[in-house]
Amino acid sequence: MALSPTARDRINAFWMLFPTFLILVGFYLYPTLYNLELSFTDITLLQLRQGGENVGLANYTEFLTSPSFFDIAFNTVVWLTAISVSLKLLLGLLFALLLNSRFVAGLRLTTVTRLMLLVPWATPPVVAVIAWRWLFDPTHGAINQALLWTGLIDDPVAFLAELTTVWPSIVTIIVWNTTPLIAVSLLAALQTIPEELNEAAAIDGATTWQQFRFVTLPYLMPTISVLGLMSVIWTFNNFVYVWLATGAGPGTYTNVLATEIYLRAFVDLRIGYSSAIGIVMAVVMALFGALYFRFFGLSDMQDKVG
Amino acid sequence: MRKFLILTSAAGALLAASAAFADVELTFRFNDGEREEMRAALDAFEADNPGITVELQTIAWGDSREQFLREGAVGQGPDVVHIAFVWTQEMAEAGIVMPIDEMTQYGEFANGFDDFIATDLTMYDGRAWGVPWSADTWAMVYRTDVLAEAGVEAMPETWDELLAASRTVAAETGKTGFAFPAADQVWFPFNYYLWSNGLTLVEEDGAGGYQPGVSIEELAAALDYFGTYINEELVPRSVLAIEVPHDPALLQALLDGSQAMAVMPTNTYRQLLSAFEEANPGAEVPFASGAMMGGSEGPQTHLGGRTLVVNSNTDHPAEAWQLLQYLTEAGLFETYYTNQFPAQRTLLSQIEYRSEELGFADQLANHTRTWGAYAESGAGVGQLWNLTARSVGSALSGQVTSTEAAEQLLVEIERVLDN
Repeated sequence: MALSPTARDRINAFWMLFPTFLILVGFYLYPTLYNLELSFTDITLLQLRQGGENVGLANYTEFLTSPSFFDIAFNTVVWLTAISVSLKLLLGLLFALLLNSRFVAGLRLTTVTRLMLLVPWATPPVVAVIAWRWLFDPTHGAINQALLWTGLIDDPVAFLAELTTVWPSIVTIIVWNTTPLIAVSLLAALQTIPEELNEAAAIDGATTWQQFRFVTLPYLMPTISVLGLMSVIWTFNNFVYVWLATGAGPGTYTNVLATEIYLRAFVDLRIGYSSAIGIVMAVVMALFGALYFRFFGLSDMQDKVG
Repeated sequence: MRKFLILTSAAGALLAASAAFADVELTFRFNDGEREEMRAALDAFEADNPGITVELQTIAWGDSREQFLREGAVGQGPDVVHIAFVWTQEMAEAGIVMPIDEMTQYGEFANGFDDFIATDLTMYDGRAWGVPWSADTWAMVYRTDVLAEAGVEAMPETWDELLAASRTVAAETGKTGFAFPAADQVWFPFNYYLWSNGLTLVEEDGAGGYQPGVSIEELAAALDYFGTYINEELVPRSVLAIEVPHDPALLQALLDGSQAMAVMPTNTYRQLLSAFEEANPGAEVPFASGAMMGGSEGPQTHLGGRTLVVNSNTDHPAEAWQLLQYLTEAGLFETYYTNQFPAQRTLLSQIEYRSEELGFADQLANHTRTWGAYAESGAGVGQLWNLTARSVGSALSGQVTSTEAAEQLLVEIERVLDN
């Protein structure tokens, strides 16, 4: 029986995608399922060879009812994710608008400013955190030296040790290191907006703000939506910034879900328990992703501007 | 054709023979700062043992425990590994290190295994699983000229006297008296405070189990003691972010004379002395060491140190043991690994201490104890360490009150003891 051209195309597409499917199963699905299996056991790092015993939902119950759960969840959702992602989206948009403006072009600074913007993004997170730790250092840090020199403070501030400054300091590092990606992506999106639309709006009497609000922003929304989703997932799951900046301290003040996983797995050696936290994180992110697409209606938005 | 076959056979035989006598490549994981010195020591070992080459591998101490546990579980890892005393039992329990009685078939130690100190920490299931390598403890370090400037004539001997001396230094000179790392390694001075007051985080319960050896009020009082230094601004608040006694901020303050007193391990003190002498050639060394503070009981610090273990996954146990024996010889400590004390009674008795180091010698010989119940309870020193350091950090930073921090710490200790 001869296959129709469509059926042949589908079979060809299946075989071309099959290697990718295998890679996804091997490197994503299998570890996820294995992690899920571990989360129902009491396995420790000392028992990796012997394996652990099934404890049902005990790890989940212990984590979700632990006294520190609320603080860890608050730190992760509010400080690490909501505040830093909002700031980098806002700053990224501002930078993109500035770089796309006639003002920067008029100064012949377009290339230089775009290159400068890429420097923080090209800096590996580990290097960025180490550099900022030196900048924040109470004894030798440039920030304290500058603040002391200008008379804004009388005594050096231990930015990464004081309760009032530690979270803003971490957010500063994250925003500095990751905003350029947002800005560059939004800049690319800005350059796809037909100039005629803004010209027509201007002829119709729209102010600069109205042009931005009703022409530019709708065009950028699909990009902003995708960047927002990706930024939330990257930041929510991020371990490096908090761990290298403060080690989750002072005390447990900056402990987040990712650092809690590390502490439980590699300090307490409780692999089963930390696997349960990992599953909770994955579920939260999956739910967030589903709700995000539902509320932002990415495809609808593309239809609107397309 | 016949010639070709003969030549081919000869070449094959030569290859087989060379494979049989091929170099043995060992990997030695060593995590201290003396990397260059250790490489020189390994070069000397390779010169004396043709056919054995040793790759020196280093990772951060903070990651080394779980790294080796992970590697060992999947049949990987270095052949000889440098670990902390208190990890040996865990490694044995995980089945990733070789028992010593199986290794001695490859050679005995010059003074026997019994000459090593703290061998109790290497015992698991009735067998020894590691060789104590270096011994250390913490002691007090004084900048004598700063104390003289402040008019402090006698070295403090109790925690209360230490606080009083710090207040005097601050009042008379405007400098820092006693400063300590208030994150992570605050674990050490915090335990010394408890021990010297007859308390302990974990003790035997008399029925074969273990229980906390301190009450909420006693823990809160200990937290308040260290908090006083911060609340009265006797130390900069930046100590809250300092994790280790060799943090540049602490060492620099001692070197430039803006701090009078500190607590640190032997190797850090030796590095401090070297740094001062390098920066001030020919100048009188204004440092002295002394025993740790006492409380209601005498001063007590931990008998710490490092163990060498052989990975149970090694393909070359004989050569690994040969390397391990070399690393415990007197010459290594005399020539290369000079910042550390050997963990052998015979070698310890032969050490000639500098006058500035006498406090460390006294502390090590007379005022140390092992982690004992901490390690034997199964709670794990690493876990107790993390919990305690975080509770101290929470209280000292003002995240919670000292009583709340004490309550949380006791709950956590009971939890890990139950587990």
